Amino acid sequence: MKEELFISGREIPNIDPYLHIWHWQIPIYLFLGGLAAGILFFAGLYTILGKEKEMQATVKWAPFIVPFALVLGLFMLFLDLKHKLYFWQLYTTIRLESPMGWGAWVLMIITPISLVWCASYIREVFPKWDWKFEFLRKFELWVIDNRKIVAWPMVIYAVILGIYTGILLSAFNARPLWNTAILGPLFLVSGMSTGVATIMWISKSHEERKILGRIDLLLIAIELFFITHMIMGALAGSQVMIQAAQLFLGGEFTVSFWAFVIVLGLIFPAILEILELYGYKIPIAITSFLILLGGLIFRFIMVEAGQLTRYLY
Amino acid sequence: MDNSKKYWNPYFGGVMLGLLLLLTMFITGRGLGASGAAKSTVVTAVDVVAPAHAEKSAYYSKFLSDDKNPMNEWLVFEVIGILAGALLSGALSGRLKFVVEHSPKITSKTRLIMAALGGLAFGLGSQFARGCTSGAALSGMATLALAGFITMMAIFGTAYVFAYFFRKFWI
Amino acid sequence: MGPLIPLNVIDPSWNNVIALIVGIAFGFILESSGFSSSRKLAGVFYGYDFVVLKVFFTAAITAAVGLYYFEYLGWVDMSFVYINPTYVSSAIVGGVIMGLGFIMGGYCPGTSYCAAAIGKIDAIVFSTAMLVGILIFSEFYPLLESFYNANFIGNITVFETLGMTAGWFLLILIVIALGAFYVTSIIQEKVKKVDYYILLK
Repeated sequence: MKEELFISGREIPNIDPYLHIWHWQIPIYLFLGGLAAGILFFAGLYTILGKEKEMQATVKWAPFIVPFALVLGLFMLFLDLKHKLYFWQLYTTIRLESPMGWGAWVLMIITPISLVWCASYIREVFPKWDWKFEFLRKFELWVIDNRKIVAWPMVIYAVILGIYTGILLSAFNARPLWNTAILGPLFLVSGMSTGVATIMWISKSHEERKILGRIDLLLIAIELFFITHMIMGALAGSQVMIQAAQLFLGGEFTVSFWAFVIVLGLIFPAILEILELYGYKIPIAITSFLILLGGLIFRFIMVEAGQLTRYLY
Repeated sequence: MDNSKKYWNPYFGGVMLGLLLLLTMFITGRGLGASGAAKSTVVTAVDVVAPAHAEKSAYYSKFLSDDKNPMNEWLVFEVIGILAGALLSGALSGRLKFVVEHSPKITSKTRLIMAALGGLAFGLGSQFARGCTSGAALSGMATLALAGFITMMAIFGTAYVFAYFFRKFWI
Repeated sequence: MGPLIPLNVIDPSWNNVIALIVGIAFGFILESSGFSSSRKLAGVFYGYDFVVLKVFFTAAITAAVGLYYFEYLGWVDMSFVYINPTYVSSAIVGGVIMGLGFIMGGYCPGTSYCAAAIGKIDAIVFSTAMLVGILIFSEFYPLLESFYNANFIGNITVFETLGMTAGWFLLILIVIALGAFYVTSIIQEKVKKVDYYILLK
């Protein structure tokens, strides 16, 4: 290194932070987290409302996906870690200002809750299931009798998990695109929408799908509203924020964002859902698949685009 | 029972299609198309399976560039749209159904074989003509391009000439 | 002022978003006009249903009249509009092969996508086989190349070739179309109806 040749301090290697450090694992993790949050939220909500009979898929069947999604998501996060063997330090280092720490703790709480929830229904899926130990049988009976007590923390932690998937990004304020508080609610709503789409796919009851379809339409409307505000907010911001928004309005991510997220991932499935509510026959798999794909691509775009934006030029 | 009412009046459909074509040309300077997306798919597939072969080939290499995925093409997006739009229309008029449509005189299997042969010929012919019924004939005619008229007359002329021999597949 | 994207009125990065929306409208119109049924399409060759001719001709004329009227108004710069290149022999041979494909398969590429989207299995087979056809052409391209590029006479229009103005040619085209609509409507009255809708119920 010939320091005498430097014109500017920026030329010193590695003095600019290296920002592009997240790859495909993170968006998948965020997607699975949002999906799990969505499913658990509605499972808990309809239990609290006392509608287990009408909403079988929501309350019983869909939650069985959640533990798998959470474990797979955590595995993605683990793959992304540089020092994989030190993952446990996330739990020994308690820092209130660290969103990573929050996430680790939220997952630490919600994963066992989801496991307990599934366990309490497992004998309805596999009637021959035997818990082997007496205390497990007793615990199961207790949960079955007191599902609402389990449902309350599940709903609350599902909301926290959903918001956290967005806050994880917005906490990195070195990336202008992410530096907005709207990401939390946006990812929450988007995650709930993917959760509802999954439940609809599983559900066999026409009535249940109708209720879920209405909810999903509302969620999509809110999501579009949040996305509009995210872009408007960025456009009203400083120059770097405007440049971040330009990625979506005539830049690298215009096509993938508008074509796959807005049109095919939100508006088109919303139209299909409206048609279904009016009694047209629509294969639910198409609607659900498009919503899930849109949600996944949305997270890929947000993670990729966010890492392209920066304050230093 | 007359289900034909469910389809649009052909002249209304034609005017709508013409206006869409006009709008497309006004915005993008090109017409509509369909076979180009299939070509992109083939180019991409060959590029994935045998990249060296694709790069060496005089035909594939025309559509390959280093900084752009061959699927990132106008026509690919348009065809994704066609699928979505047709699905929407089919859903609105209750036509969504897995079915092999064929004349009662032939079996489904015969129909599928003929469809495969037809598709094969169309794929081949669309490369010679630099476009299919949409890209070369319809869009070509709309810009009054000579190529559009030649291709259109060749397609329909040939089909009329051979129609007699294939009548049992349709009537 | 037009075409908008080649003249940078709209940023080119929006091009494929527009493609998607145009495609949705295209697919919707084709399907609603009945282009997702191979037996309806084939009707044009046997006289029981002329929907192909009617839609196709009306659309081409609407677009052509609109386009050249836009040029007259100065809204469109025709030098930025893509005029298909005319390679005479290749265009004729391609058209003949496609004509054979049409009468055998009953679809063209665009309509086969429409039909595939609403679940016609024959259309799914057709559009898959199309890929094979393209693959064959591409693999034999070195042999076909000289023929493919033969008899090139430029990106010319039909009225230039005939030595008249666009307006007169359009007028003649409209007269031909109206004549064709009239004649085919008489033919359709006389030909025995083919009930191809039955299969859908």
